[in-house]
Amino acid sequence: MPLPNLRGRAAFLFDEVDFDVDQIVGVKNIKIQDIEELAAAAMQSYDPDFAAKVKPGDLLIGNRNFGYGHPHYPPMKAMRHLGIAGVIAESFAPGYWRGEIAMGFPQVPCPGILAATERWDALEVDWTAGEVRNLTQGASLPFEPLAQGDVEMLEAGGLVPFLHAKVDRAPAT
Amino acid sequence: MGYTLAEKVLARASGGAPVKAGQDVEVKPDFVLAYDFPGYTDVIFKQMKEEFGIDKVAEPERYGVFIDHMVPANTPQEEELHIGTRTWCAENGVPLYERVGIGHQVASEVGYATPGAFVVHFDGHISQLGAFGTLAIGVRRHLLEAFVREYISFKVPHTTRVNLTGRLQKGVMARDVFHHVVRTLGPSSCRFQVLEFGGEGLSDISIAGRQSMCGLAMFTGAITAVCNPDQATLDRALPLARKRLDPVCSDADAEYAAVHEIDLSALEPIVVVPPSPANTADLADYVGLEVDTGYLGSCVSGRIEDLRAAAQVLKGRRIKPGFGLHVIPTSQEIMAEAAREGIIATLVEAGAFVSSSSCDYCFGRIATMSKGQRAVSTGTLNVRGRMGSPDSEIYLCNAAAVAASAIEGRIADPRDYL
Repeated sequence: MPLPNLRGRAAFLFDEVDFDVDQIVGVKNIKIQDIEELAAAAMQSYDPDFAAKVKPGDLLIGNRNFGYGHPHYPPMKAMRHLGIAGVIAESFAPGYWRGEIAMGFPQVPCPGILAATERWDALEVDWTAGEVRNLTQGASLPFEPLAQGDVEMLEAGGLVPFLHAKVDRAPAT
Repeated sequence: MGYTLAEKVLARASGGAPVKAGQDVEVKPDFVLAYDFPGYTDVIFKQMKEEFGIDKVAEPERYGVFIDHMVPANTPQEEELHIGTRTWCAENGVPLYERVGIGHQVASEVGYATPGAFVVHFDGHISQLGAFGTLAIGVRRHLLEAFVREYISFKVPHTTRVNLTGRLQKGVMARDVFHHVVRTLGPSSCRFQVLEFGGEGLSDISIAGRQSMCGLAMFTGAITAVCNPDQATLDRALPLARKRLDPVCSDADAEYAAVHEIDLSALEPIVVVPPSPANTADLADYVGLEVDTGYLGSCVSGRIEDLRAAAQVLKGRRIKPGFGLHVIPTSQEIMAEAAREGIIATLVEAGAFVSSSSCDYCFGRIATMSKGQRAVSTGTLNVRGRMGSPDSEIYLCNAAAVAASAIEGRIADPRDYL
């Protein structure tokens, strides 16, 4: 099944290069297991009212090498819980990329996105056309195509269903 | 055009046909490694059985598991995790290495660092096996694939080559070379690529030094790093190798994404300033900054040459009263060697606190700093909260610099003591 287009607003612009995503919840909160508690801690140092403003389907915007450092899973778990449907960034750090694609969480490498976006602009990621459209500004930018395996993993909804599809279709040995 | 080491390894491991960077392949890892850690091995063991109905891995000799975190266990829950790991390994016939050192180093001592092999782990610091001409990649939770399928899906990476010339000066160590790469090429310079070290200068860097350089590869964005194995490397690695494979080297006319030159003789000791591994600076610019504690160890430093360098600095001297210097050799084998050389006695007499090998000092499970404290460290990482309070700071530098700083209680230049 092809990926449905992402449609949502730019809920936040992380303009820091080499952004360490652990900062989203803060290192002191990184071990919180309870998703409500984790979500309550998210974005407190960036926008304390973030949870009230964000709507399901909204997107995050990042700068170059987004996810650098030693990324953990909880920050983006919290973001998904708040309704964030994907991240569009200038580029991504590989460890972060691999981790979030395995969670079935769409990541879109799109050079130029940061300069072309204002907070709360309405955006659409069109997987077939390979472009990010800014519906507010009436502009569009091509994004870098994802590796086939990454597309398949997103389509499957993450690592485990993706592997099921592979293992289950493999000939019996 | 010729082929890179990575292309050659992946060609062989995917069936033999030549492959080029950018190609999607199905590749069979020669070895699948992991250390037991909550959320990784326990989840993988459970998913393998419950999700995929696989009771035992095929070819258990391809696997290797290490217990090196939470050693010694500090709570009954941690011991339960270890018990689960021991049970799984026994049931599956998979070799388990416990309390013998940090797995990434032990892997090289017990033959997983087979030149020409393709290795996967969930942890990216496994890249250090690249020092032996092994292509070793950290894939995070994708490691599950290597437990439920014989082959894994993989994209053949491009390679960036760094040619080294000249020789390191006194007081400058291998990890300074890596930090210099981050500094000059940038923290995203090798994203999704292999970082390959070569050039005549490499022959002056020991295998331990190469492990140090390759083990930090992720902070350039690389998915791993490699060195083409020279004769000394083969002499050490081949007798231990767990699998008979032909070692491979990049061809002279291999196609690289980029080629860079570094003159080792021009390098100075570097400090990596918190809170990011991208924040490299001249150590000299931070000399005098007060520090409370020091850590000499980790999977990337803490080898015999690091311990020798520290002993050279500390011999006949005392660390500053109140300063806590923790020295943790990377493996028990290295600990024994250091003891035989008299290094342990030198360090202890200088006031160092020397412990058996464990990963636990590196990620702040033991000896955590409180708010406002600062450490000098040869660990892997300096992000906030890595060694305790999110309001403490970690300054990464080489082993000699940690030892010199321990004497003064301030960041110090090791060249003043060598």
